[in-house]
Amino acid sequence: MTGPGRSGLAGAFTVAGVVFLWGPLLVVVLFSLHSTAALSFPFRGFSLRWYEEIFSSAEVRSAAENSLIVATATAATTLVLGTLAAYGLTRTSSRARGPLALLFFLPITLPGLFIGTALLVAFARIEVTLSLATVAAAHLVYVFPFFFLIARAALDRLDPALEEAAADLGAGRWLVFRRVTLPQVWPVLVGAACLAFALSFDEFIITFFVIGPDSTLPMFIWSTLRRTIDPSINAISTLLLLFTLLLFVVTFALTSWSERRRRGSAEPLVVPALKDAP
Amino acid sequence: MSGEARVRLEGVSHRFGDVTALREMKLDVADGELLTLLGPSGCGKTTLLRIIAGFERPTTGRVLLAGEDVTDRPAHRRATNMVFQRSTLFPHLDVFGNVAFGLRVAGVPRAEQRERVREALQLVSLEGYEHRRSHELSGGQMQRIALARALVNRPQVLLLDEPLAALDLKIRLDMEAELRRVHRETGATFLYVTHDQREAMALSDRIVVMNAGAVEQVGTPAEVYGRPASTFAARFVGDANVLPVDVLDVSGDEVSVALAERRRQVTCAGARGGPAWLVLRPEAVQVGRLAREAGADELTGVVRDVAFRGTGFQYRIAVDALETELKAEAPASSPELAVDERVTVDWTPSACWLLPRDDDARAAGGPLPTRQETPA
Repeated sequence: MTGPGRSGLAGAFTVAGVVFLWGPLLVVVLFSLHSTAALSFPFRGFSLRWYEEIFSSAEVRSAAENSLIVATATAATTLVLGTLAAYGLTRTSSRARGPLALLFFLPITLPGLFIGTALLVAFARIEVTLSLATVAAAHLVYVFPFFFLIARAALDRLDPALEEAAADLGAGRWLVFRRVTLPQVWPVLVGAACLAFALSFDEFIITFFVIGPDSTLPMFIWSTLRRTIDPSINAISTLLLLFTLLLFVVTFALTSWSERRRRGSAEPLVVPALKDAP
Repeated sequence: MSGEARVRLEGVSHRFGDVTALREMKLDVADGELLTLLGPSGCGKTTLLRIIAGFERPTTGRVLLAGEDVTDRPAHRRATNMVFQRSTLFPHLDVFGNVAFGLRVAGVPRAEQRERVREALQLVSLEGYEHRRSHELSGGQMQRIALARALVNRPQVLLLDEPLAALDLKIRLDMEAELRRVHRETGATFLYVTHDQREAMALSDRIVVMNAGAVEQVGTPAEVYGRPASTFAARFVGDANVLPVDVLDVSGDEVSVALAERRRQVTCAGARGGPAWLVLRPEAVQVGRLAREAGADELTGVVRDVAFRGTGFQYRIAVDALETELKAEAPASSPELAVDERVTVDWTPSACWLLPRDDDARAAGGPLPTRQETPA
């Protein structure tokens, strides 16, 4: 904020906002490096003991593995299904186009609590045993709209004349997709898949309902905190935070790189899900 | 295959919902010719091109390429290639990737791809541009690459959809010369769509004048310009004056007509008595200062507008007893006439053309006021 609109009050609000948003996170990061088990000031010095502790814990490792498995499965499935849905819907002239698109991204408005209970009831009805597979399926419901919105925005912005030109030069549908459409949008699609991965990786509420005997990292943190205040939680949370941030950075870098690559046709790509993401 | 039409359209009609874009089109494009579809926007010329390319399926009728019915064949299985109005170069590929696209899809061996791309780039005078990206090219260069990308596949017919419309005038003139040269050197069949009559004249072997989804006239540029088949063709090609007259008597090619209560001479073959349209090109109209009393059959009028066009003056004249203003062009060497000046109007009888006037729907639909009450 510069110019005549600048005021001390606005500055104070901005600082307060930033502190409110990032303060708690910094405290967690700070205490993950604390040399004692105390979770309050005064701070008595740095150490990596909590990180050593979690890396040597079999429970943490198994939970992390589970989280990785679920997030990878979710991201891969979303990448394929979401791309197909977005490509189909941007290339059809069918009347169902609008309503279908709405159906695909409307779940973005559903509360996690609702998705969780609904899926739990559904799984019980069709007698599916709860496992990591049900978690991945539930995560798919949750992350699909985010992926779909990004993929559709990217595909919508492609010039349909380019696909026509490719067909004119002898390329059938699949070749047009592989040689012309995909090369132009893959960075955005991979970026959106990273986002799907990140959303799945630290998802808690829905997971809580549909998970079986296994545990994921957020589940592990929650169950540990229920029993005791364990400082190693700070270390796990910090790693989780860094990992998620990294994925968001990758997402952002890929989408903006793809945008720069298509110089000439201006108008920046709006990534709706990045703004709304929790 | 030379005796056979490269492209033949048989009764091709096309409707978008309730709108008829094309009605019962019949057309033969001969081997190696440069044929232009000329008409105002919305006349169906681009739809026709897209039907030939395979992007649209005609509602009725057949499309034949070299004698083979391709009506039901999708675009990627037709031996046609298109140059679009806007650049459709693939942004993720360099110039080589773009020009080689069709060859690669067709499975042409690498070495042959390189050789043919080199030849194609040479043809459009852009040799050595293989590794440029499309954003490093100017508008004219992009369209030349698009031309190379299409021609490298040696199509049965090259379709060009207003390829110069997005370019600046100067580049457009250069590109016209370039297109003529490429057409001469390749001997390929070109089907060219434009709304610019000057461009059509400059490029074509034959012109198809289209209006409201139908053909108005097919002919060489000289035929279409000199002997328009309809008032629409006369107005659209060459911006002619189209005036309602009555043919008084015919003796051979010499025809007397009544115009603005005057008796005038026109040279035209095959004229009949009765109402007619007089087609008068602006450059055939002679305008002079009214210095003396006008003769009994002399046309007089007032200058309404003057525009200097470099090569000459362009006038709009309100002729006495004539409803429409007359467009006239005078060479720059002639004395400039001022607005509101009284003038005499004359023309060379041989520079005129007569069209039958039966007040049919086509004539009535034109921008000229129709005069039903003309005396017999």
